[in-house]
Amino acid sequence: MLRREEWQGIVRDVDWTPTYVDDDALYPEWMSGGGKVPREAWKRWEESYKVSYPEYVATQREKETSAYAVQAALKRSKAFETLDEGWKSSTKLHFGGVALVEAAAILAELKMARFGLSPAWRNMAVFGALDEMRHTQITLLFAHEFVSKDPQYDWAQKALHTDDWVSIALRNLFDSSMGGANAVDMAIELPLTIETGFTNLQFVGLSADALEAGDVNFSNMISSIQTDEARHSQQGGPTLEILAEHDPVRAQWTVDKYFWLSARAFSAITGTSMDYYTPVENRRQSYREFMEEWIIDQFMRTLKDYGLRRPWYWDEFMEGLDTWHHSLNLGLWFYRPTLWWKTAAGVDEASRAWLNEKYPNWETIYGDKWRVIAENINAGNIPATLPETLPWLCSMCHLPNCNPSYGRDGKWRVRNHSLRHDGMTYHFCTKACRQIWWEDRDQLNHTTFVERFLLGEIQPMDLSGALGHMGLTPDVMGDDAHNYAWAKSFAPAAPGQTVPAGGE
Amino acid sequence: MIMTDAPAPRLVPVNAIFADDIAEILVAITTADTIAEVAGKVAHHSEGKRVRARDAEKVVYHNDRILAPDQTVAEAGIAPFDHVRVDYAD
Repeated sequence: MLRREEWQGIVRDVDWTPTYVDDDALYPEWMSGGGKVPREAWKRWEESYKVSYPEYVATQREKETSAYAVQAALKRSKAFETLDEGWKSSTKLHFGGVALVEAAAILAELKMARFGLSPAWRNMAVFGALDEMRHTQITLLFAHEFVSKDPQYDWAQKALHTDDWVSIALRNLFDSSMGGANAVDMAIELPLTIETGFTNLQFVGLSADALEAGDVNFSNMISSIQTDEARHSQQGGPTLEILAEHDPVRAQWTVDKYFWLSARAFSAITGTSMDYYTPVENRRQSYREFMEEWIIDQFMRTLKDYGLRRPWYWDEFMEGLDTWHHSLNLGLWFYRPTLWWKTAAGVDEASRAWLNEKYPNWETIYGDKWRVIAENINAGNIPATLPETLPWLCSMCHLPNCNPSYGRDGKWRVRNHSLRHDGMTYHFCTKACRQIWWEDRDQLNHTTFVERFLLGEIQPMDLSGALGHMGLTPDVMGDDAHNYAWAKSFAPAAPGQTVPAGGE
Repeated sequence: MIMTDAPAPRLVPVNAIFADDIAEILVAITTADTIAEVAGKVAHHSEGKRVRARDAEKVVYHNDRILAPDQTVAEAGIAPFDHVRVDYAD
């Protein structure tokens, strides 16, 4: 019997020699995306961690057995009932935001399994597709267990089928990086940028927070998924290496673009979960610390390894680590009826002390805004804490334009970043989103929720019409996770202090 | 019936922000609104809700210029989807 090392090199390189059609018909440019790279160059494609099908099946079986054994044991416990409501929202956001992205990733992997330009790559992508199938199933199953206890968990299945503005934002990112991309671009956008980098945030960072918060079940599930990500994400490295050698401009642009767009999306999903929804006593690291350790260091090494430069937007990105997710958290909380989870304000006294320690400008930018909100709550004026219009959503990342910067005017202000094109004015959350939109405007096909509203696609043209369009019903509409108890930690408004101009 | 040649006010949806609020928002104004009314419509969503109310005059910025409060939106040339910033006068 041959040892694996003796046969695998041959098996993973087995390729067809077409005689009835030419290579271009088998691997068309619009699906494979070889571009300027000579066809022969792809023969050098080699994954660093090799696996055979029997090994794959045996390992996956072990993982599945282990994950479901823990789940079965916890079903008999009262663990779920003891979890903090804010933490549960981290998981609801994950379930709704991720479950069907995993399903879309099956198709993405299958595209690489069919149109990847090397047999070894196609082989690896088959395992990737099987991985993503498992991730979809395990995520939906774990969420389904809680549907009878809380209908918001049903949005694991539902969220990405709706036109909720968060769902549109996520679809915009993943339709672009998976649905619309050719195999080469996709290998850089998905396995290299998103899976090598950003899923670490959600699957490693949040797993640690989950354990601290007592959610062994969730931690167990996402840890199980992460072990697969670590393997199939290898498709990115060899692809980037070959692309960077033959077409460095395209390699640089693709990495830069998807690093930025991933950073935007994950600041909403993971940034809020880590720094606000996880109870303060359970936080292992701040989002910024985690980004610096797990994402930025690794990303810089990747750029260096492949001879690429630091992206043009680097200063804007680093500054955003101190603002993006804080603004998004406040915005998500204020627009809580538009969400399928209960938003945790995460700004009680202990949390504010923690935030100010981790983010020295937090009080200056956000402290008094939360104080004004708390004063309205403490005065019984909840309507003043609810929206009456829509936030303006970025035409590129679809997240609210909510990123303050410190200007030469000596003020922290959200600056307007807009451009006119074909008689229409577009607004963006950042300079980098505006630049990416301009460069790749022909690839974009999702209109933002605000654009839909203004085009008359949402009727009636008021907030009730907007909520209906998002598919939100009163039983799942988000509200404050802790029934506003955190507001008590703010002192009441001082006598004579002007509080609710927009209130009572 | 009183006949008039004045056109009916048209809706002008704008991208707006008030002072140091954390997000730009969609605000519906009309061509007949005065700039002072625009300031009030934008501030309505932020002042005393996220931005602490101040007893100070409000100014409206459009295309890097301060607009006169008694001008109308039509006179000021504010078009749909334009950006409007409202802030307290320093």
